[in-house]
Amino acid sequence: MHSENRLILELPPDVAFLPAATATAENAAEVFGLDRSGALKLSLAVEEFFAYLCRFAGREEPLRLTLSQGGTFVRVAFRFRAGEVSLRALNFAASVDLDEESGSLGDELGLLLASRTTDRCSLESSGSGVYVLQAEVDRNYPEAEPLRTPQTLCPPIRVPRTEDEPLHAGLLQHAALLAAGHYPVRSCPNSFFRPARFADMVAAGQYQALLAQDGADKPAGLLCWRNSGPRAVVFSGPYIFDDSADQALGQEAARLLVERFLSMVARTEALCAFSERPTPDVPKGWFERLGSLTLRNEAGAESAGKPQAALFRHLREDVGGAVWAHADLEPFLTRQYDRLAFSRDILRVEPTRTSRLPQHSLLATSLDRRRGLAILRPLLDGQDFAANLAAHVQALREEDVDNAPDILLHLDLSEPWQAALFPTLTACGFQPRLILPHAGASDLLVCQHVPADS
Amino acid sequence: MSLPIAELVPSHIRSFEAYVPSRPDPELMRVYKVDHLHRLNNNENALGPPPAAQRVIDGFEPPRSAIYPSGDCFFLRQALGERFGMDPERFLVGNGSCEVIASVIKAFCEKGDNIITADKTFAVYEWVAEFSGFEARLIPLLDYAFDPEAMLAAMDGRTKILFVCNPNNPTGTWWNRQTMERFLARVDGRAIVVLDEAYREYVDDPDFPDGMELMERHRNVVVFRTFSKMYALAGLRVGYVCGQKDVIDYIRRTHIVYSVNGLGQLAARAALGDDAEHILATRSMVARAREIILPAFRELELPYVSGAGNFVMVKTPASDSLIYRQLMRRGIMVRTMTGFRFPNWIRVSLVQEPAMRDFLAGFREVVTQVREDAEGEEA
Ligand SMILES: Cc1ncc(COP(=O)(O)O)c(C=O)c1O
Repeated sequence: MHSENRLILELPPDVAFLPAATATAENAAEVFGLDRSGALKLSLAVEEFFAYLCRFAGREEPLRLTLSQGGTFVRVAFRFRAGEVSLRALNFAASVDLDEESGSLGDELGLLLASRTTDRCSLESSGSGVYVLQAEVDRNYPEAEPLRTPQTLCPPIRVPRTEDEPLHAGLLQHAALLAAGHYPVRSCPNSFFRPARFADMVAAGQYQALLAQDGADKPAGLLCWRNSGPRAVVFSGPYIFDDSADQALGQEAARLLVERFLSMVARTEALCAFSERPTPDVPKGWFERLGSLTLRNEAGAESAGKPQAALFRHLREDVGGAVWAHADLEPFLTRQYDRLAFSRDILRVEPTRTSRLPQHSLLATSLDRRRGLAILRPLLDGQDFAANLAAHVQALREEDVDNAPDILLHLDLSEPWQAALFPTLTACGFQPRLILPHAGASDLLVCQHVPADS
Repeated sequence: MSLPIAELVPSHIRSFEAYVPSRPDPELMRVYKVDHLHRLNNNENALGPPPAAQRVIDGFEPPRSAIYPSGDCFFLRQALGERFGMDPERFLVGNGSCEVIASVIKAFCEKGDNIITADKTFAVYEWVAEFSGFEARLIPLLDYAFDPEAMLAAMDGRTKILFVCNPNNPTGTWWNRQTMERFLARVDGRAIVVLDEAYREYVDDPDFPDGMELMERHRNVVVFRTFSKMYALAGLRVGYVCGQKDVIDYIRRTHIVYSVNGLGQLAARAALGDDAEHILATRSMVARAREIILPAFRELELPYVSGAGNFVMVKTPASDSLIYRQLMRRGIMVRTMTGFRFPNWIRVSLVQEPAMRDFLAGFREVVTQVREDAEGEEA
């Protein structure tokens, strides 16, 4: 099937085709709506990825380059086959170590540069030696001032059906700014501060949103969600814009939003819905508490240091499942699963023998500077995992010395090798905090870094 | 590099969520670490099939399994014809009424067409339409019942089928004769009207409209019935559609022959011939269960919806899926209602008294616990 916003090119792994790759990227960037500087970033990423893959990818198959428009960003993806790639330079904390007698230093530098100039970069393995290396460059959107003006609502509150008519972009932007003005930064998706981006994300289906309106059609509340893995949706909100004393209409809006949200996701692929940043306006009795994170970093808000609850609910009947666990993690898992009445078979993993591992590991990092929150995910195991993780923690703390971000690490317990990393994590100062059911291929374990000085 | 399989798949299939059936009982019992399981989740008839059907099943000699069944359920259709005083050609039997739902949609819909039903009803109408690439217009229930006005208003030139679940699963509401007559008059033959009467035998109110009779005056009406509910043959998968001969003839063209197994055909025919006492006994079991369970819900101050059929819905003071897991740990299986777009409700099948009492004991415990936890959190 052909698509207007996707372009696919198969390239022999030969640097002679570098101009073809970069010219395609520039052309796509322009058609897909990046400005000049965005287009440069994209073509730089394509250039570096391609040059690197020409050296390291398998030669028996072409490299498949896909450029696609994702609404608010343009994505470049290379699908390739590799025996044992060293993608070390894609690590956030990859440093240029001049003492190292690595002949490929020059190539790795390029990749590092590419991964840093793009907005997000990831490497996924689809098994049997096939990898997808991808990077995204966001379109540019202006920042706008959050709206703090108090609002009072008038009845009746309603939540218009978005199935019949998509939400108006102007209304969505208005609601995003009200949310940004009424709630702490940490409770808001980043895009609320660039509301045109938020509206575009909704139009492109990256986010789904529901809006409550009052009797005078004013925004009364907002709830939005997106997919997280194939089996879960993550929601933000509800954000309620009711500054009246009794908040009765606000509570009504919150209930209507949650009810509608659940009935919209109920007959989809998602098995569960959760939120790592619920607002205090989540109505009682609809979600379960998974646990909480102690987030210190709430720039400018009074809730700094307060534990942040993570909420959850199934959308179907839980049929149980299996997770891998290192012996050190078992007591935590058993306690949590029992408290939540989840049935899980806990399968014991043995530590991976390091001699069998490739030299270099790879961690994906997402850093949200505004919220002061970093999330790490292990992508590839390697002999240097412990050192690599420590280097990431160090590098993240140095990003902002006065206000170092909170650091979380997500372990996918469907992967035995990830489960086996647990003792390495604890040795590096991470502690298990909570389980996000079905958030990965199976359950995700969220660990939080607890600095030695706190 | 080979094409990813997903690129071969039409978009309406890619975006469609496959129905995930429950795991088999032994697996659930292992997972939830219990040694028994009360099945209150599927509205099965816990009394089992009528005695004559049980005898047929007992007497089924294994070698007969080697023989193909009647490809079009010849004798079963004859029995149905006799029972309802109709030409057997006006019946089409399927592997459960679920199969017939698919056949009707295939027979009448083409690209660009739509079907209309309720948002909170049996999910298969909506599912089959969507995975076949047709729009399902889902009309919100009004006071827990199908909303005839809104359904009519949603009709357009491309509406081919209106599905009315009467009585509705899971709310138990039903249209009486007058509502039904008015609705059919206003549809005025512009589309097929399916009356899914899966729970019909549980209703003894004379004001319940009889689809078999309606279709004589409204030739666009077809009726679904099943042997899975009252007749307790869910495991053998037999259901059917009845309508005007020309309508059934079109549906038959899309229907798979030989889809109904031989034992199922025999058992269904026997059940039909021996149902009078069975129906009375089942209705009285259901009535007794309701007498036990409803006062308990009132005492717990939980809203419930109880209408026709062998089930009730009750609102839960916490996530329905949490209540499900907690009840499963006590060997009690109910249906969570989030998937029916009733988040924080469960549906409970009405069965014999001991199982109802077990359910209530477990449910009370769980509700108490959940309420205590909520208070703890607030403190
Ligand atoms: C309303 C309704 N129609 C049809 C069916 C399907 O029954 P069968 O077992 O005949 O496929 C059910 C079963 O749950 C039902 O509730």
